[in-house]
Amino acid sequence: MRKENDITQDIDWPLLVCYLVLVTMGLTTVYSTAFDSEHSSLFDMAMPYGKQVMWIGVSLFLGLLVFLIDSSIYRKFALPIYGFTLALLVIVLFMPAINGAHAWLGFGGFGIQPAEFAKIGTALLLSSYLSTVNMHLQTVKTVMISNAIILVPVVLIMLQPDAGTVVVFTAFLFVLYREGLSYDPLILKITNAFPGIRFKQTWLGTHFIPIMFYVVFLCIITLLISKSTFGLFIPGLHIPGIVGIVIALAALGGIVYWLLTRMSSKREKKRAFIVVIIGFLLSTFMSLSVSFLFNGLAPHQKSRIELVLGMVEDKDGEDYNRFRAMAAVGSGGFAGKGYKGASLSSVRANHVPESETDFIFSPFAEEWGFIGSIVLVSVYLFMLFRIILIAERQRNRYYRIYAYSVGMILFYHFAINIGMNIGFVPVIGIPLPFFSYGGSSMMSFSILLFVLLKLDSQRRDMLY
Amino acid sequence: MNFDSRRIVIITFIITIGVIYGFRLFYMQVIDDTWTSEAQRIAEKRHQITPPRGVIFDRNGKMVVSNETYYNLMMQESEIANLDTVAFAKLIGWTPKEIKARFIEIREGEGTYYNKNQDRTTSNYQSVRSYPFLKELTLNEIARIAPHLDKFPGFREEPTSMRKYPYKSGANILGYIAEVNKEDVIDTAYHGYYRSGDNMGRSGIERYYEQTLRGQKGVKHIVTSALNNALESFAGGKYDTTALQSPAMKLGLDIELQAYGEKLMQNKKGCIVAIEPSTGEVLSMISAPSYDPNLLVGKRNIKQNYPTLLLDEAKPLFPRPLASEYPPGSIFKLVQSLIALQEGVIEVNTGFPCNKSLVGCHNHGYPSDIMKAVQFSCNPYYYQAVRKIIQHGKKKSAFADAEVGLNIWAEYMHSFGLGEKLPSDITGQRPGRIPDSKYYDKWYGHHQWGFSTIRSISIGQGEVTMTPLQMANLAAIIANKGWFYTPHFVKSVGNSGALPEFKKKNYTMVEAKYFPPIIEGMRRVVNESGGTALLARNSEIITCGKTGTVENPHGKDHSVFIAFAPLNNPKIAIAVFIENAGFGGTWSAPTASLMIEKYLNGTVKDLAKEKRIMDAHLSGL
Repeated sequence: MRKENDITQDIDWPLLVCYLVLVTMGLTTVYSTAFDSEHSSLFDMAMPYGKQVMWIGVSLFLGLLVFLIDSSIYRKFALPIYGFTLALLVIVLFMPAINGAHAWLGFGGFGIQPAEFAKIGTALLLSSYLSTVNMHLQTVKTVMISNAIILVPVVLIMLQPDAGTVVVFTAFLFVLYREGLSYDPLILKITNAFPGIRFKQTWLGTHFIPIMFYVVFLCIITLLISKSTFGLFIPGLHIPGIVGIVIALAALGGIVYWLLTRMSSKREKKRAFIVVIIGFLLSTFMSLSVSFLFNGLAPHQKSRIELVLGMVEDKDGEDYNRFRAMAAVGSGGFAGKGYKGASLSSVRANHVPESETDFIFSPFAEEWGFIGSIVLVSVYLFMLFRIILIAERQRNRYYRIYAYSVGMILFYHFAINIGMNIGFVPVIGIPLPFFSYGGSSMMSFSILLFVLLKLDSQRRDMLY
Repeated sequence: MNFDSRRIVIITFIITIGVIYGFRLFYMQVIDDTWTSEAQRIAEKRHQITPPRGVIFDRNGKMVVSNETYYNLMMQESEIANLDTVAFAKLIGWTPKEIKARFIEIREGEGTYYNKNQDRTTSNYQSVRSYPFLKELTLNEIARIAPHLDKFPGFREEPTSMRKYPYKSGANILGYIAEVNKEDVIDTAYHGYYRSGDNMGRSGIERYYEQTLRGQKGVKHIVTSALNNALESFAGGKYDTTALQSPAMKLGLDIELQAYGEKLMQNKKGCIVAIEPSTGEVLSMISAPSYDPNLLVGKRNIKQNYPTLLLDEAKPLFPRPLASEYPPGSIFKLVQSLIALQEGVIEVNTGFPCNKSLVGCHNHGYPSDIMKAVQFSCNPYYYQAVRKIIQHGKKKSAFADAEVGLNIWAEYMHSFGLGEKLPSDITGQRPGRIPDSKYYDKWYGHHQWGFSTIRSISIGQGEVTMTPLQMANLAAIIANKGWFYTPHFVKSVGNSGALPEFKKKNYTMVEAKYFPPIIEGMRRVVNESGGTALLARNSEIITCGKTGTVENPHGKDHSVFIAFAPLNNPKIAIAVFIENAGFGGTWSAPTASLMIEKYLNGTVKDLAKEKRIMDAHLSGL
């Protein structure tokens, strides 16, 4: 039976441990990256690590507060919280610009980024709203409202401007997708306009959001690496990047097929096979045509795209940061250069700018090598799966939608942040959750996660 | 509708990204090493340390070439802030325009180096690195500038080392060094050793022993930050090397003798070469006129003085002792005598009448033997003796016979180191000329010439030429009775002792037993009445010598004298060649005797003789 006053009851310990592991790894990396022998104390407030310790302390305190509040409060106050974060987003626009963006709200010597906290408000309101809608996301009104909840903060953040966080907000589209958002009405209008075609449902419309995400991701990777070559232990062998992409797609098809057959019934297995084959062929075709089309572009158009993607050849020019980060990650080797051994990406070496914040994966990978990198990636993947598992075990839609919001936001940050450190994603300045130095991201991600833990711990007494 | 299956799509997504990233990380970190070398390019810097050049001593341990500290005014562009060009120009005594031009020059020219891996030259000028803005300032100059440098951030002084010549002599032997140019930097022959700003030997010993004297550059591998601050030594200094200065070099040169010789030769054109016969070491090598080697120290001096020296009509930069090819004149009779004896065409006691119808001669007694022939320097004697060498009678045709005879003769001559460059550290040598049958065939046609055509070679005129170095070596060969060590400058480097390439005795084709009569003749030349070089006589030292007067169609005859002394146990072999000075006994012989006395006794007693030579102006024809 439940004990009334035990707030640790029904906590999902694996998720909490994941959180603590990542926070610890992050702090040690901030410490080694920003290390200065004259300020060697971890608690030196003049250094990023001293401040990070403080932010972690504040975050844990906030986490405790979150646990002291009954979960029903979050639902009731979703709209005020959302309104509050929007108000902060409006106020911040009148703050002086730092590095060309009105992103910081100062409190004395410290500043916070309201955009980080806007994710919490949006997640809460979106969950609250969607759970009250009895219908699925099929009517124009619900689609409009749910999209508006996402769009208002996005517009305000665009005004700062902060492109990275705007991209992250598209994570909520996945949440809508999970809850049944379909673009079929739109797609069917187009397809059924052709004489003789009478579709009732299309794959494209049903899975529009993941397909779009996949298409965009594939296009960007194709553009980024199709021109480069790679060899496999064999000297003189230069395989074009595009071949690598096709090989990767084939491997991907295999994995997807394996997963689909695991999770579907016998009848669906056959269909899964056809889907995978068609998907592979379409992907290959798309990748090849993107590469082909890009090479066929006029030089000025080409350089424009290259600039946006940060693909400029000059290794010390426009694409400075991405190349430097890749050099740091790649030079880490199998076992790394050792703790505090980041000769490229430590703050004092400064070859990789922003290495304690957005590019913190690069000093970590340089110090710990492939072993450390794969451990970190695994911890994140485990955390994401755990969140999805938590989401799927909720009997209440509100809880599930919120859990998915948290999961998808973390997934976006993870994928984009590490992606730009390994050259798969253009430089988009967003932090690595729980890891990067910075008060706003540490606090907002912690609150996001602790609210989830709190909701999950009360999943049994929420039976309405 | 149930949308639970959509979770599979989302999970697949996450797994896909995870797997792709995992493989990508594996590829970047484990398989592909591009990024490792890229990281090295970014963060590791090689800092070269150039040691001071090796110092040079003479045979008596006197420092001939040393190093002196100069100062470079370094600038680092990234640290320059609000440069008051006018005030700075005033400080260093330039115009603001010149300062701007110098900045451009540095940005475009400095930091060029040859990249071994990529096989191309690269310029990596960086504003965070320092480059010399002004080079080679003396202590006085920097002392005027340095106190004001705090007003000009980005500029600072840095010591550098340059050559200094405590004796103002021996410029033609020592050579000079100069900064490398762009071609040297990219020249593959140097394997990318030189970088912009390095020095390199340009002539003389500095050039020949460049690889020794430059020492070994040290390399420090440093991990640097993006602002080029050194963070730590790479791998704990495992790959670092220290800069090694070359061990001191010791020359066979006697710098006091060299200075004395240069003084004797003032206001004259010509040269003196002195060799120690028992070792082949060059004791002195005077090229007159000469110049103070300090004139060519440093970029500014070279820029100022080199053109003047180059355009001087007296050609002070021309190394006469090795590169001037003169007909040897009568001193050539010494070799002719030796060959004739060895070939058996004459005996020691063979006499020839002084038949002036064959070739002109002066009045002297009857040359009844080879000693007297040398003593009197009788031209008809040698006409007849050399004809016997050339026209040996081995072939019926006189022309064919001369061909065979001449080639045998030429072979003898080569064994005396004549007609070819000596394989030595003395650079810039000319070979001289010993004509053979091919040479005359070209002029007259095959079998179109005999001894009478080429007779002037018998008395060292005509087609035969020698360098003064070869003349001095000839004196050394006679002193040694038939062999020589290749004449050379360097005695030892560090503790290595004599260099192996100069330890090999070269034997001539003439046996030792034929030398004493010739030496006796040479003794008489200097010491007995009727000799041609009585002015070279010294009551304490028995000198053996031979004068020569070289016919000069363009002006007054050249005066030449070769000698060695003392007679028993020769310590010095010498050749003196004074252009347009007339008879060999008048100027060259006394000059040689002064040199010999100076070397053997340390001082010269006959000051009147010394004054006569020093005061003589002989360069004006």
